[in-house]
Amino acid sequence: MSQFLQVFLSGLSTGSIYALAAIGFTLLWQAAQTVNFAQGEFVMLPAFFVLIGIHWLHLPLWLSLIFGLIVAVIVLGLLFKKVVVEPMLPNGGLPLIIATMALSILLKEGTKQFYGAEAQPFPNIFPQTTMTLDGAVISVQDIMNLVVSLGVVVGLTLFLNRTRTGRCMQATAQNPEVAEILGVNVKRMVLYTFLVNAALAALASFLISPIYLAKFSNGETLGLVAFIAAIVGGFNQIRGALVGGLLIGVLDNLTATYVTTEYRAALPLVMLIVIILWRPQGLLGTSEGRQV
Amino acid sequence: MLELKDVYGGYGKITILNGVSFTIPKASITTVIGPNGAGKSTVFKAVFGLLNIHSGQVLLDGQDVTRASPAQMIAHGVTYVPQGRNVIPQLSVRHNLELGGVTSSDQARVRQRIDEVMDQFPALRQRQNQKAIELSGGQQKQLEIARSLILDPKLILIDEPSIGLSPNLVQEVFATLQRLRDNGVTVLMVEQNAKAALAMSDYGLVLELGQTRMHERAATLLADPRVGHLFLGGAIEAPAG
Repeated sequence: MSQFLQVFLSGLSTGSIYALAAIGFTLLWQAAQTVNFAQGEFVMLPAFFVLIGIHWLHLPLWLSLIFGLIVAVIVLGLLFKKVVVEPMLPNGGLPLIIATMALSILLKEGTKQFYGAEAQPFPNIFPQTTMTLDGAVISVQDIMNLVVSLGVVVGLTLFLNRTRTGRCMQATAQNPEVAEILGVNVKRMVLYTFLVNAALAALASFLISPIYLAKFSNGETLGLVAFIAAIVGGFNQIRGALVGGLLIGVLDNLTATYVTTEYRAALPLVMLIVIILWRPQGLLGTSEGRQV
Repeated sequence: MLELKDVYGGYGKITILNGVSFTIPKASITTVIGPNGAGKSTVFKAVFGLLNIHSGQVLLDGQDVTRASPAQMIAHGVTYVPQGRNVIPQLSVRHNLELGGVTSSDQARVRQRIDEVMDQFPALRQRQNQKAIELSGGQQKQLEIARSLILDPKLILIDEPSIGLSPNLVQEVFATLQRLRDNGVTVLMVEQNAKAALAMSDYGLVLELGQTRMHERAATLLADPRVGHLFLGGAIEAPAG
């Protein structure tokens, strides 16, 4: 039982980080019809911005994290929208998807060239201590990752539901034509969505990199998991992406511990196929419309 | 109140409006009628800044608002209720109403107006916490109209308010528009249900091929055999002499 609790909580922790990337993925789709196949690289890259802050600019960790967040929001939010999405979107969804695939390769290979192919150690943000809960040894880092991720999701949900700007973002996602008629600054709301996605990706990067280390190829797995989590949960719901991320994290850990590690990478794909066959709109998805 | 002077416009390079001109007076209801493709909805979009005006002028109380953006038109006191269902489906009724005042810097006034507007539409007050998608078609249209009133507009552009509504609900919507007119609001409406709309309007405007063909008192248009001819699919012939 104690081992189960240990594995379960660890899975929740990793899953909550997946959920951050999946929620960003969902938000971009809702607000800007952008399926971002570079989302994994968006999670991989901010860790390197932090390493630049530490090693090149000699900033302390906390300042490097702020630096990494700001650069990520500018590069992966603002520039991504202006340089990639805006010129491509008028040509339709498919060219944009291909463009994000190309961007994914560019970011991955660019990082490899710039920072090397070796995995880089990433400083721990939380203490590397453990605590005992009902006989289970729980990592404080896991608990803190879970708390921070869920806190951010709750904060984001409150922002979207309780603030005027949040509701304008929802209106833009659900019915941009009507939002414009009501005087909502639709372009600004779409930009906010890109910035929020970049911030979520950066946060996921800062939380996952102490565990996975910073490596140019990290985005391959993270992007796939975020994509699957978003679809499994329901592509038009934040809470769906959250559930999808947590589910993948927990099942992945439980399978690795109690079944086999051999087919671990296949698990999310199997889950994707099962869910699509059983419930095409996803676990919490609705078929009637788009929502952020 | 609202004056269009020889307006040409359309979607991109495609011209739909070919020199529309008319003036509508304050605190009146004017119904725009005409065959499909006449440019009725396009006139509204052109006035509200949603499509290109190639040439001509749109004047509001004498002020040039040609090519003003939707947000600027709202600031000028104009709101637009497009055809079809135009609620934000997953937001509550109350939050939909709040969005009607999203451009206002006086949110206390917006909250007060929401209360006042809900007095006019009791069904919305009862369902203020429900998602808009859960309302009936008639209630959704009421919500759209209510939302357009939050900022005390002086001109409402309303496109096909009767689509999808039962005859009783259509009468309710028309009665609401008449109440607004009596309170000093100007209403410009496109309506396929032309006879019923003209019967409750002060003025009628006939558009054909993107041009103003007739602009008369509504009762005069109703009695004009040429209007009936138009709605049977023919074109209006120029009056003899």
